[in-house]
Amino acid sequence: MTSVQLSVRNIRKSFPGKSTTVRVLDGLSFDIRERDFISIIGPSGCGKSTIFNIVAGLISPDAGTLLHRNKEVQSLRGHVGYMMQKDLLFPWRTVLDNVLLGLEMRGVDRREAVDRARAQLSSFGLSGFENAYPKTLSGGMRQRVALIRTLIMDPDILLLDEPFSALDYQTRLYLEGVLKEAVERFHKTVVLVTHDIDEAVALSKRVVVLSGRPSRVKAEYEIDINELSPVAARGNPRFSGYFHALCGELDIQTMAKAS
Amino acid sequence: MSTITIDKSAAEDRAKPARGRLRSLDSAFGRGMLQVLAVVGFFVAWELGVRAGWISDFLVGAPSGILKVTYDMAVSGQLWRDTWFTLMEAVLGFVIGTLFGSVAGLALWYSVFVARLVEPFIVAINSVPKIAFAPIIILWFGTGLLSKVMLAISLTAIVALIAAYQAAKDADTDLQALLYSMGASKHRIFYRAVVPSTIPAIIATFRINIGFGLVGAVVGEFISSQEGLGHLIYNASSLYDLNTVWAGLFVLMLMGFILYHVIDMIERLALPWKQTSTHAHLQV
Repeated sequence: MTSVQLSVRNIRKSFPGKSTTVRVLDGLSFDIRERDFISIIGPSGCGKSTIFNIVAGLISPDAGTLLHRNKEVQSLRGHVGYMMQKDLLFPWRTVLDNVLLGLEMRGVDRREAVDRARAQLSSFGLSGFENAYPKTLSGGMRQRVALIRTLIMDPDILLLDEPFSALDYQTRLYLEGVLKEAVERFHKTVVLVTHDIDEAVALSKRVVVLSGRPSRVKAEYEIDINELSPVAARGNPRFSGYFHALCGELDIQTMAKAS
Repeated sequence: MSTITIDKSAAEDRAKPARGRLRSLDSAFGRGMLQVLAVVGFFVAWELGVRAGWISDFLVGAPSGILKVTYDMAVSGQLWRDTWFTLMEAVLGFVIGTLFGSVAGLALWYSVFVARLVEPFIVAINSVPKIAFAPIIILWFGTGLLSKVMLAISLTAIVALIAAYQAAKDADTDLQALLYSMGASKHRIFYRAVVPSTIPAIIATFRINIGFGLVGAVVGEFISSQEGLGHLIYNASSLYDLNTVWAGLFVLMLMGFILYHVIDMIERLALPWKQTSTHAHLQV
């Protein structure tokens, strides 16, 4: 059994609402292991993004602790790679300069950074687009640039907040494959928030199901599918078992009943 | 393959007459010709009207007279002196005012407290027609170049300040969050995310402010001056010398026109990432 990399312990967070305060997270706890690929699914508005913002240091929790490799930390700010549904590319920066953003923040020597960025861009099939502005790229290409920008910083944990949900299905399948391969190649730990049960099962080693607000961990599933590509994973005989079990957890009716 | 080609050209043949003759004028050359034609037509009609006695030469002036006056002033050098004087006032006022205003507006991003504190004062100052300050500014800064520059600054600075502050407030918070998660300081976030995203809005104020710069210069000259196109126009109109008034006005118009295009050029150079190909324009 691999050791625990990040431990989320009893996190509480509420936001001021119109009349009462809204409790979003109510004592949420789960562990992320070294080189884990964990998906978090749950009903919309259950505070999945709030967990991310807390781990990334964008907001602080009301109570609870984060343990990073057994050391208590405020947040993993500066050590996480953050990807959202929006690609968050800077429109005034070229593809190359967007990829360089994180390295610039870290003060890496420009020439070395450019070499690394070019190598990464070409390994992700984006050579020739270095000087293009994001506006001129397709949605899938932009999200690939965002992925490179995230990976090149060599973060401890990748936080992916529905990164592919704005893309069409084909592009999504393709990028899932790119992500999975990159994660294997760079030995990354990934936390993926998604609405897509199918995506969660195809990509993850573990799936955490959250309950509605205030969120707690409702169930945890180890996904025992050892396929490298997400497309092959979908064809695995065990896939549909996990899929239906997770649908059941989320109270989604998977059998159409004629009556 | 061949059938497709035939079909296509046949379709084009049918479409052509339906589009009409107007479409063939819709090119850079065609539009330019129409524009020149309109201007020439206007002046010819004006001149003919004066010659025929339908339009009063005394109250309206005449194109031939305007040309003569302009030529005389160009030869004597007065036209160049006045134009240079007004241009300097307007451009200096525009540059200093816009720069000062933009920097101040951006700086307000740093402190929400200070921004909220000064907001009512900015609104109050902005609600006064700034041109009403002109007499005091002339009193304080004299009748020379400085007072007109100051007047132009007072007009342009507040516009730039409000636009820059608003744009900084509206800067994409997700991009700022991303930088923050990467461990960037507030300073870094300001320079990398906030400032670049405000540039389009700031450049948009250039267009408004170059006009205000000219307003400041000319109004200042109306009130008290020995030089400048505003001075020229004001003096000539009090002498019922309408041709000189028009000469001054047309030079001002030309000046504004050129300055506007200079800003257009600056925008294209400063915002390469904003440029779209014209093919993407939807023709409705």
